[in-house]
Amino acid sequence: MKKNILTLFIVAFWGTLFVTSCEVDMPTMANYSAYDFSDLDEDGGDWNPILLAGTDAITIAAPEDVSSPAYQAELSSLKSTMASLNGEQRAAIDYWTNNSVIRWKEIAMELVAKYNLIPGPNDDGTYTLPNPAKPEGPPGFPFAHPAYAVRVYAYMSVAQFDGLTTAWHYKYDFNRPSPSKVDNSIQPAYGDTDLPSYPSDGAVIAEVSRAILTAMFPLEKDYLRAKADEHLGSLMWSGTNVETDITAGELIGSEVAKVALARAATDGMSKAQCPKPVSDSIKQAAFERFGWKWENQEIPVRPVGLAPLYGKVRMWNVPNVEDVRPVPPPAIGSQEYEADVKNLVDIANNMTEEKRRIANYWQDGLGTYTPPGHWDKIALDLIIKYKMNPLRSARTFAYVDMAMMDAGIACWDAKYYFHYPRPIQQIPGFKTIAGTPNFPSYTSGHSMFSAAAAEVLAYVFPNEATTVRAWAVEAAMSRVYGGIHWTFDATVGTSSGIEVAEYTVAVAQSDGAE
Amino acid sequence: MDEFLSTEMCARISCTFHAQRNGYVLKSVFRLGLSLLVFLSCIGSIQAQTPSDAIMMKQREFCVALAYEYGAFDEYWEGTNLRKNETIAEVSRQAVMPMVAIGIMNKLNFYVAVPYIKTESTEPNGGHLQGANGFQDLSLAMKYEILNKEMGKGKLALLGAGGYSTPITNYLSDYRPYSIGNGANEWSLRGIAQYKLDMGLYVRVAGGHLFRGQTKAERDYYYNNGSYYTPWMDVPNAWEYNAVIGMWLLDNSLKLEGSYYAQKSTSGDDIRKYNAAQPTNKVEFDQVAGSVQYYIKPVKGLGVLAYYVQMLNGRNMAKFTSFGVGATYQFKI
Repeated sequence: MKKNILTLFIVAFWGTLFVTSCEVDMPTMANYSAYDFSDLDEDGGDWNPILLAGTDAITIAAPEDVSSPAYQAELSSLKSTMASLNGEQRAAIDYWTNNSVIRWKEIAMELVAKYNLIPGPNDDGTYTLPNPAKPEGPPGFPFAHPAYAVRVYAYMSVAQFDGLTTAWHYKYDFNRPSPSKVDNSIQPAYGDTDLPSYPSDGAVIAEVSRAILTAMFPLEKDYLRAKADEHLGSLMWSGTNVETDITAGELIGSEVAKVALARAATDGMSKAQCPKPVSDSIKQAAFERFGWKWENQEIPVRPVGLAPLYGKVRMWNVPNVEDVRPVPPPAIGSQEYEADVKNLVDIANNMTEEKRRIANYWQDGLGTYTPPGHWDKIALDLIIKYKMNPLRSARTFAYVDMAMMDAGIACWDAKYYFHYPRPIQQIPGFKTIAGTPNFPSYTSGHSMFSAAAAEVLAYVFPNEATTVRAWAVEAAMSRVYGGIHWTFDATVGTSSGIEVAEYTVAVAQSDGAE
Repeated sequence: MDEFLSTEMCARISCTFHAQRNGYVLKSVFRLGLSLLVFLSCIGSIQAQTPSDAIMMKQREFCVALAYEYGAFDEYWEGTNLRKNETIAEVSRQAVMPMVAIGIMNKLNFYVAVPYIKTESTEPNGGHLQGANGFQDLSLAMKYEILNKEMGKGKLALLGAGGYSTPITNYLSDYRPYSIGNGANEWSLRGIAQYKLDMGLYVRVAGGHLFRGQTKAERDYYYNNGSYYTPWMDVPNAWEYNAVIGMWLLDNSLKLEGSYYAQKSTSGDDIRKYNAAQPTNKVEFDQVAGSVQYYIKPVKGLGVLAYYVQMLNGRNMAKFTSFGVGATYQFKI
């Protein structure tokens, strides 16, 4: 009897353990394989690039004919490479796929998450800022906060898009067929394609992404070089391109990256984190204008808010940031203000599981890919769902990211122009379930990033418009549920984000891709 | 830094106290330390009544217990670096633990416990974050006496225990340091050996392995030395070790005990600089504890206990100091 019970107990224990150890899979990347593109966008070379004067602004040499001895030598080299692949090379083929725009976006998001750590105080209560001239720190450079992150995403996607419109121009200009079209003994890993092979679109993406991300994350230079080398290698291992396709693509990538980084060097970002005297004068100006001022509530107090002059950074598609500056927030003590104090206290005192879930789901705080990263992830999933080719993918990301960066700049302009206090500064004893960021309250960054991204996605994916717009509203309200924003921060931010995005959508509508 | 706040903490703490007279330790069976203590004390009281027999509660004996614990920290190990953080300032954790033990057979006992936990920061703090509170995990455990024999001037006892715990409320494990638990299922297996001299002195050693499942966050992306696109987080498994020395005094009505407890995760990441902890962290710590239990002779079956625990070293763990008090009542049907 005793033994039976003991045996039963042991069997039950290990049985339960076994059953429950069939745990949920935990993906570290998008789960997709190479796919047939819904469209090749053969006229892509006629679209308007964003930074380049035209798709022929960068020139590459005409390729050797496929019947030439030089090309034939490349082809046999490709075949022998493909005949002796090792396991790592096969894994690289599976990883990079025929739409590597997705993988490079994931790499960018992962680096943002890695570097999205706010510097803590020193032992003496002072704070040290990350310094691009001494990136190793401490603290390490950069602090990839949302305003920094969206700029990373935007420059990479815009440069990819310009590089790919250039590549498409030459692909259909020179019309060199893919290796498997020339020699049908070649079995390309991603299937036969009618997309011309010269220059390699994959090589453009690899080089431009590597160069932009290396400038933005200088400590990751070696990691990014290794990633790009593997990516470039996979283009041959998969039978997609011969060597000259790849070198021509790299050349385009390198030239486009230079243009993009030249813009980045002078867009005003390096001055966004201004010194304390400038920050104090901005605060004082707001106080004289409105009679209120936001103050950091941390211990020890941070002397300067996050990037007070980010509102001065050069925008992509809005001519003047003041054109999209929202109306002033309710005056402190006004009826509308007092009503919202009551509203926030009520939400905090009656927190529901649903509101908590929404606050956490859209929080995208420190250590994550930030709200712009969350929206790029949404875009990424739609790109896969609609089987976009790399050019169309880069276009989608470029417009989403430009709209989000413009929204971020407009938001920061409003934040430091109005300098509106956060709920924890105004409501005695108020507690939040989300961390209060180090910048003024009005308007909400989440609401502006989200509304701007949703508007562009609604334009690119009309069938998803209702869904993504509803998500943007939920993301905006998540900050109110979290206790760190006023309701009007969210609602005005959403309207403002939509308004900012309209400038970008107008550009997209006339770029030739419709 | 929150792992402490979680059940683990409790468990550790309690573990330190397993000693009862005969030394069969339920101990770590429950993650909740409080509960363990209580249990042990129940057992102890039995022993006091029938010193010749032993270790386990006999068939049809019941013990109900209630304990309260207060713990707090103002420093934590970020990786292995001990630091302060004014964003959270000092964090306290209070727990109330009701528990029941049942003698199914003379050599097989069953335990069930459900703690209620409340966490919050002291004022002032720079973060202004809400604490958390609620019922945490249901813990079930069985303990089996494998051996209990006279040896020299004392008795040697060997026991094995298995346990299971599972969250019973929708508390958020991904809200460190205020989370009230790991939010994951846990299975535990433990082996216990005790030698007790007839004069009342005893030593006990125990080791166990904690198998943890996954916990579900309310976000679908997180960083754990790389990107994870899922709300599921892997809570690392862990080894634990325990050593105890104790003494029965005053005609077996008073027990004094000192103990050492250590736990080490088998995997996991470190808390990143000035960043919040998360359930995936690799948690390590060791701590010492002292306890006293007294069985009130005039009231048959009633016992009281008090204990104190100090964490010594850790990794991705709060440097907790805790104390607890409890009462136990034992009866037979």
